[in-house]
Amino acid sequence: MSEVRPPVAEADPKAAARAKYEPVIGLEVHAQLKTASKIFCSCSTEFGARANTQVCPVCLGLPGVLPVLNERAVLFAVMTGLAVGSTINRRSVFARKNYFYPDLPKGYQISQYDRPLCEGGAVEVLAEGVRKRIGLVRIHLEEDAGKSLHPEGKEGVSTTRVDLNRAGVPLIEIVSEPDLRSGAEAYHYLTKLKQILVYLDVCDGNMEEGSLRCDANVSVRPRGAKEFGTKTEIKNLNSFRYVEKAIAFEIDRQVARVEAGERIVQETLLWDSARNVAETMRSKEEAHDYRYFPEPDLLPLDLTPAWIDGVRATLPELPDALRERLVREQGIPEYDAEVLTETRALATYYEEVATRSGQPKLASNWIMTEVNAVRNKTGQPIESFPIDAGRLGDLVGMIAAEKISGKIAKTVFERMLSEADGPEAIVQKHGLLPIDDEAALRALAREVLAANPGPAAEFRGGKEKTFAFLVGQAMKQSRGRAHPEKLQAALRAVLSEEA
Amino acid sequence: MSPATSDWVERSAEEIAESVREGKATAEEVTRAFLARADSTAPRLATFLHRMPEEALASARALDARRARGERLGALAGVPIALKDNICTRGIPTTCGSRILEGYRPPYDAHVVERLAASGAVVVGKTNCDEFAMGSSTENSAYRPTRNPWDLARVPGGSSGGSAAAVSAREAALSLGSDTGGSVRQPAAFCGVYGLKPTYGAVSRYGLVAFASSLDQIGPFARTARDTALLFNAICGRDARDMTSRPEAVPIALDSLERGVKGLSIGIPRDILAGEGIAPAIRACFERAAAALRTAGASLVDVTLPHAKHAIATYYLVATAEASSNLARYDGVRYGLRAKDGNLTQMYEATRGQGFGREVKRRILLGTYALSAGYYDAYYLRAQKVRTLIRRDFATALEKADALLFPVTPTTAFPIGEKVDDPLAMYLNDIFSIPASLAGVPALSFPAGFDEAGLPIGLQLAGRPFQEETLLRVARAYEAADDAAARIPAIAKERA
Amino acid sequence: MPIDVSTVRKIAALARLRVEPAEEERMARELGAILTYVEQLQALDLEEIEPTSQVTEGAPPALRPDEARPCEVRDEALAEAPDRDGDYFRVPQVV
Repeated sequence: MSEVRPPVAEADPKAAARAKYEPVIGLEVHAQLKTASKIFCSCSTEFGARANTQVCPVCLGLPGVLPVLNERAVLFAVMTGLAVGSTINRRSVFARKNYFYPDLPKGYQISQYDRPLCEGGAVEVLAEGVRKRIGLVRIHLEEDAGKSLHPEGKEGVSTTRVDLNRAGVPLIEIVSEPDLRSGAEAYHYLTKLKQILVYLDVCDGNMEEGSLRCDANVSVRPRGAKEFGTKTEIKNLNSFRYVEKAIAFEIDRQVARVEAGERIVQETLLWDSARNVAETMRSKEEAHDYRYFPEPDLLPLDLTPAWIDGVRATLPELPDALRERLVREQGIPEYDAEVLTETRALATYYEEVATRSGQPKLASNWIMTEVNAVRNKTGQPIESFPIDAGRLGDLVGMIAAEKISGKIAKTVFERMLSEADGPEAIVQKHGLLPIDDEAALRALAREVLAANPGPAAEFRGGKEKTFAFLVGQAMKQSRGRAHPEKLQAALRAVLSEEA
Repeated sequence: MSPATSDWVERSAEEIAESVREGKATAEEVTRAFLARADSTAPRLATFLHRMPEEALASARALDARRARGERLGALAGVPIALKDNICTRGIPTTCGSRILEGYRPPYDAHVVERLAASGAVVVGKTNCDEFAMGSSTENSAYRPTRNPWDLARVPGGSSGGSAAAVSAREAALSLGSDTGGSVRQPAAFCGVYGLKPTYGAVSRYGLVAFASSLDQIGPFARTARDTALLFNAICGRDARDMTSRPEAVPIALDSLERGVKGLSIGIPRDILAGEGIAPAIRACFERAAAALRTAGASLVDVTLPHAKHAIATYYLVATAEASSNLARYDGVRYGLRAKDGNLTQMYEATRGQGFGREVKRRILLGTYALSAGYYDAYYLRAQKVRTLIRRDFATALEKADALLFPVTPTTAFPIGEKVDDPLAMYLNDIFSIPASLAGVPALSFPAGFDEAGLPIGLQLAGRPFQEETLLRVARAYEAADDAAARIPAIAKERA
Repeated sequence: MPIDVSTVRKIAALARLRVEPAEEERMARELGAILTYVEQLQALDLEEIEPTSQVTEGAPPALRPDEARPCEVRDEALAEAPDRDGDYFRVPQVV
């Protein structure tokens, strides 16, 4: 990841201005919960169905229907709260948020207002090597709205098409404290939050598909000031990158205004990812009066301490704990552990490779470099990576036992991507066994010297540099199988022999 | 005219069901009798928005076929029943008395409709009501007013005026209405029939088009105390589709209604009776009824409901707030009326402007205001706190008494058109019915007498949560001693 | 508490309700009368009182198990739509 870099020519003035101000950023994240059915009815939540095929009288908001709360939505929300150290409120209350929009069938969204399910908590993020605690204000449950699509009409009359498949999908809204100080921090916060949600298996965390959404609140204040500046809200952020860019853009915009003596207007901005600017929403944004009141069709949600404790006891190992455990048990650096715990599946994969090979650090290197290089290109999750942990563990073990060189191992690795055999079999099959027999190496050395009389003569004439060339040629000839140190010894011996 | 016609419309639901179950009558002949009655009276009373003669006969024949095969039929076998038009009936127009749902056919049946089908009842039509259940006279129906069978120039009450009138005129043996602030009890009193508002949560609201979610209950209309219980039994109890419905609501054993009132204590809330504006005939009827119950063995005890005087103010904040939200879904997007007009906002405003009547608009605006920024604390929140006080008043009073006795309405049925121009005056009619709604306790209107003009007087019994049985038991004892419930309006005495 | 026509317009806009100009005065008057009536609640001392948003008592009901079920009446429900474009509901453009 890299910070957004403005062209060098502009960097200086902006940086100077920026240094005078402290950005203050809070994020509101909406995460779709991976329940089978919607939050208040039994319609499927599966993504990608034909429009209006996952609807029923309840989520269509027909006259006379009532909401019935999905128990797994509550479970997933509580798991999330526990994972981030929130207080789980034993009584929380649903509320109606009233507004009109074509993809909001009832004319209100059932959400939580005064008494949310979770309060407090924090997410720890690692940004530029520094660990920072980002506080949370609250997490609450609510229902998603449907989708409005705006195709242009034929005679210039515009219409909107409405698909209510998504209406009623359960969401949790996670509100952070304004503890973030840069677009980069926001990026890391989102990455960490997604990681936690995926570890819990409560959300896919996919911003491009809409299972994770983010709005940013941005303000600036003079460094050292206690009061907050006026904040703006930025919407339409469809990837972690856009979040980072948009925040950086807005910070600069606000700093420039404040420096010029202009005030910041409290408004909602939309991020334009094509032009990399945040613009005021075209229509005048009236402050919404949502007229919240407690939802009379739902009773308050009462959770017992025993039940909450039960959920806590069944939480899976979370990223931070897993990372610390790997450092402790495997003795690998924190950086490695951070990379290897990107997903629980990857961590499990690593542990198996480390155990199988008996080489925790080497296993880590191989996964971080070779395995991840392939995965970055193909986009495969570790679960569908063609080399399973057992085979990779065996390969790493072979390197450690010096049965093959690191270089040959890479060849074997490549073969294992498309062949199902284990590394030993592949080495056999493709004649990749190392050459470390002295006689064979001397024979090879003589071949190379015979093929390269010029360089051989130069070396004998005192040019040390050509030795490396000769080693290279020998390696090439042996297709990398020659044992490096033994080959060098053999070559020197032969060179001095034939002197 | 066959003797059978006049017979069946006079019989109780209990008798009809027993006869049909035992094969002494066919469901079809019973249904035909009630259909014939409605053919005669419904055009004049305007009780129905949608009659269902073909469906009713088909249901009746199906029941008869099942009986012929030896199947055991349900508790309401062959009993013709009418349903208020805010109760969803699959494939059958359900308008809630509004233009915004003109022609709307729900794709599902309300929970109570499913239960009625299982019990063997035969639905004969959807009855007229004040638009979205907002009103006390059925004059707010967007279609037409319904007339009181006792005097066609007068209102039948509201909002469930059509359902009350249908039972009063014997167009159906039973009917269902909905009660939010008195909309079953008040028309029952005006039409001389029984009307029960169950404990909040006793009957599932799934399929009842919502007006005020924390107050609405579907309630039975009937001509006898036992019939009221019979219908209540068919619809009460927990429904997984309504999280506010309760398992504590269980059927009443009809025989327990015969136990009389010895040993029961009846609470008389003297403070709410102290107000002016109660018609002398109603006051006199009330005193007579109290005395009759004492004679029958109940003890009378004075209680107070000190915050009941704030009930109307409380109700018209809480109910309208909830209504303003519940009616937001009528936006022309997915069903119902859509007015073609410009952009989306204009379409919304035109649709709702044209589709809603004046009373509905008034309440939506009031409710929106009560919830709006800056006013929520002063209006809505404050009203919900007063509601707590009213609940406590009832709980306290019902520690001393098994049931409370007081009027349903300050007057008997008023003339059509008399109160339409003064909304506040109309609201003040609900002074006796609203408190029990706010408290969520069960309340029953029972026929207690008549005034000088021969108009029915109803009195109210309110009780502890899920103690509908006690209320009906007291009413049954009164019924045994007084023939008010048995009197028939002239229109229902006509021979075809 | 009396309210004026401009307030009526503001609330009507919030509620997406068109009140015809000819009706505005009357509506303001009627709403004002009702609001004046409900003002009686201001006199009460409600410091220590909890609001009631739900009169339901007793053990809370079980929550719904997370099982997806197709809706059998989907076509019937969509048939009530005033305007459709294939599978979609169609409305005038959101401004």
